[in-house]
Amino acid sequence: MHSPGARTAFWVGVREAVIVVPSYLPFALVCGVASVNAGLTTGAALALPALVFAGSSQAVLTQFIQNSASLWVAILSGCVINLRMAVYSAALSAKVRSFSTGQRMLIAAFLVDNSFAFMQKREEENPTDPHIIAYYAGLTAVFWPTWLVFCAIGIFAGNIVPTSWQLEFAVPLSFIAIAATSIRSLPTAAAAVVGGAASVLLFSLPLKLGLIAACLFGLMAGLISEKGARLWTARKAG
Amino acid sequence: MDSTQSWIVVLGLALGTFLIRYSFIGLFANRDMPPWLEHSLKLMVPAIFAAIVFSGVMMVNGQVAGLALWPRYAAAATAAVIALSTSGNMLVTVAAGMATLHGLPWLVAHL
Repeated sequence: MHSPGARTAFWVGVREAVIVVPSYLPFALVCGVASVNAGLTTGAALALPALVFAGSSQAVLTQFIQNSASLWVAILSGCVINLRMAVYSAALSAKVRSFSTGQRMLIAAFLVDNSFAFMQKREEENPTDPHIIAYYAGLTAVFWPTWLVFCAIGIFAGNIVPTSWQLEFAVPLSFIAIAATSIRSLPTAAAAVVGGAASVLLFSLPLKLGLIAACLFGLMAGLISEKGARLWTARKAG
Repeated sequence: MDSTQSWIVVLGLALGTFLIRYSFIGLFANRDMPPWLEHSLKLMVPAIFAAIVFSGVMMVNGQVAGLALWPRYAAAATAAVIALSTSGNMLVTVAAGMATLHGLPWLVAHL
């Protein structure tokens, strides 16, 4: 952050994040409302977006609490939602070689879908950008506090909304938007259809392990359909 | 849910999520992620989000929502169409879904 280039990259990150951040308001509100409705104390509900900082897992955690799953299964299911971040972590690892352990921990702590997507876009334009982490710091300086404030609004104002509005239904609706962006091919579509169907069929699995099981079934369906597609093209070519 | 339980779930998820984020940045910094693992994790994303959608739309109090709750299905279908045609615009998707959930039964009742 000491070179002019890094400072510029930081402010570019801030500016780009400010433009998109209002679009996260509805999801954050829903996450905030859901967390207090599920029975979290106000303090814990505020700590959730601050420390976890990943909306989908926040929503899933509160859903599991509401369905009175065991605490461990709720935590485990939230972690499964966030497993995808290991991919982001692997993608960043080459870029953080020069940083100390403490700095790396700080970099890791704020890694989310949005900032990773932004970094990828910047990388496409400039593959050898030496200031990519400064840019990431700029994004995070906007995303994290705003996410916290947006969720807090949901936490404190959520009770004003009448239950007849069925605001909790906005949770699966917002996941429809997320799922739509992840379906790009036949295997991803197969993974989605099988994962979705399995989540309903396996809903009454003991300990509410249905979500994790459904995820594994969806993964299998995706892998099988990939293999099938490969065999099909091999046969046509042969 | 009492205060202790609230903090256990929040801190538990926070720790687990941090370890995932820190995995290849710190814990296995000198190792590359095996390609099969990266590939599987990417395939898991649509599976898990679809699982949340299907169970969230179709399950009410542990039961499959019957046809009497058709507005839920209509709302989800509308949201899916909007999401696919706006490449996942969350604000528009949620707004269209909620509008269908409440607007369509109202229209049916008043027409």
